[in-house]
Amino acid sequence: MTDPGWEAAWRPLVDRIGSDLDEPGVRFGPDPVEAGAIRRWLEPLEFDCALHRDAEAARAHGWPDVIAPYTAMWTFVLPAVWEPGERPTFEDGSRDAQPWRSVISDDVFPGAPPTSGMFGTGISIEFERPLHVGERAGSGPRRLLDCVPKETRVGRGAFVTFDRQMFADGGSGGGPEPICRVEAQLYLYDPAPGADHG
Amino acid sequence: MAEPVRQRYAEDVRVGDPLPGVALALPVYRLVMAAGATRDFTAIHHNDEVARANGAPAMYANAIFLQGMWERALRDYIGPGGTIRAIRGFRMARFTTVGGTVRVEGEVVATGHRDGRSVVEIELRTVDAGGVVTVGPGRAEVTLPGRP
Repeated sequence: MTDPGWEAAWRPLVDRIGSDLDEPGVRFGPDPVEAGAIRRWLEPLEFDCALHRDAEAARAHGWPDVIAPYTAMWTFVLPAVWEPGERPTFEDGSRDAQPWRSVISDDVFPGAPPTSGMFGTGISIEFERPLHVGERAGSGPRRLLDCVPKETRVGRGAFVTFDRQMFADGGSGGGPEPICRVEAQLYLYDPAPGADHG
Repeated sequence: MAEPVRQRYAEDVRVGDPLPGVALALPVYRLVMAAGATRDFTAIHHNDEVARANGAPAMYANAIFLQGMWERALRDYIGPGGTIRAIRGFRMARFTTVGGTVRVEGEVVATGHRDGRSVVEIELRTVDAGGVVTVGPGRAEVTLPGRP
């Protein structure tokens, strides 16, 4: 039996297409880019390039210091899982307990109905430059580009597309410098029983 | 042991040239490493039960790690003197699930000059152990230096 109400629940978000979803300003990640964090980022990829570990080599190619991979900007903009003064991360000790706050906060859309599932479906990035050691990464507000309710093999939800500018602080707490513009699409959904998205 | 990344020059590139590509075994261990390294701790990327409850067949690689595989494929090809201008159409059509060996493949699809730089467009895709394209095909735009 179909339930036409589920699509209507997305109307408040559909009505916001073209508008900013977040407060103005740049929200910076908790830590400056560090050589050790870059090394650990490269490790599971078995990725070696002197630009990412050798300051002299990076300078020889015109960079001010060791650079992070371009796509590592996501990592350096993510918020802390827990910060001093906050309540405990997990509210119970169950095996699959989840933190009370999502670190991937891009999945929270004002006006969207509550959903329990989310995955990214598409990303395009126009880069200005990579981050370098000593800089902090920040993200500007999301602008909603599209919201299309759709039932798929995994459940009912909506494909939500937004863009945002990402920044570096230049390493000295200076004004934000753009490093890239991201357009991303997520699928937010409630899983259907027995669904499979092979 | 991997070869050090060598510099490629614009004059050496032709449309149709294949990239060496990247192949990585994808056991749970690597997905856990990726969660810690990328700080994407979403449970669907390291917990089969949570992944299945959300409609995936098993835990699967996170988007930052998969973009990192594309970047490694690009950097291995362009060398340290190249830059990456864009990654477009990074479309995750399928889950890149745990197990087997995942590969990034690609080839040069266009060359030219833009803003005074030599620009190369490269098509990339991620292919799982069963030969299924899980990400892409998308396109990257990179710059290469000219021969000194």
